[in-house]
Amino acid sequence: MQLARRPRPQALISLVPMIDVMLILLVFFMVTSSYLNLDMIPALRPTDDAVNSDSSAQQRLMIRLDATGTPHLRAQALSSETLDQLLRRSLALDPQTQLMILPSGAAPTQALISLMDRAASAGVKNMRVLQLEARP
Amino acid sequence: MKLKQNRRTAPTETIIALIDVVFFLLVFFMLIGRMDATAPFEVTPPQAQTGRDMPTGGITLAISQNGGLALDGDALPKSEISAALAEALTKDPALRLRINAHRDADLRHVLPHVSLAEALGFVDVVLVVTPEASAGVGK
Repeated sequence: MQLARRPRPQALISLVPMIDVMLILLVFFMVTSSYLNLDMIPALRPTDDAVNSDSSAQQRLMIRLDATGTPHLRAQALSSETLDQLLRRSLALDPQTQLMILPSGAAPTQALISLMDRAASAGVKNMRVLQLEARP
Repeated sequence: MKLKQNRRTAPTETIIALIDVVFFLLVFFMLIGRMDATAPFEVTPPQAQTGRDMPTGGITLAISQNGGLALDGDALPKSEISAALAEALTKDPALRLRINAHRDADLRHVLPHVSLAEALGFVDVVLVVTPEASAGVGK
């Protein structure tokens, strides 16, 4: 006699808890992550000491940033074009020209970054930012 | 006459497609986002054209427009920032310090911290910027 086999019931795994967990993870990453595209400009580098050691032989250019963020050379305000020309002329004379920036404490950070940015675009490789400190 | 009722069948819509989409979104947000600690105040970094890719690792010192400070997301008074930086440096002497200053913050709130970091012995200090094509001098 041949017995009829009962068909096995299909194993059923509920996917609903997995979807719940995935949705929670998704919301978590969407809320907690920041999506700003950030870059960086080095302010101090391990090689800075080496660069400074032979700085005596370099031509120096001192640019002052006033409280409004306008760059000045020898008390004369510089427009963006004048600044570019000045930097390129100095670099043509001496590719190792050192740019020294003396910013006012009231100047906005953006002004300093923009000046450093413009100098880097012109090809300046050696920059120093100076600070004047009150004598105690 | 009694009509024979059809037996209801289970819905045949598959949720596999939904899972695929959710997985895709999950991976997308995990890859695109950065899990940095955010400052307790608003910080809009300055714009620069010549910035380099932000390296990973290190600690972030956020500086608000008014000079408020936060180290890795925790607000700190100015008097405690030196000790906190020194403590972080003792744990990792090659630690990178990222200074994320608001673009309108006065430099008197920013530059002293670069000097402080240098004095404490940090050898790798970077300023956080955002890439922008139209950044200009003298704004």
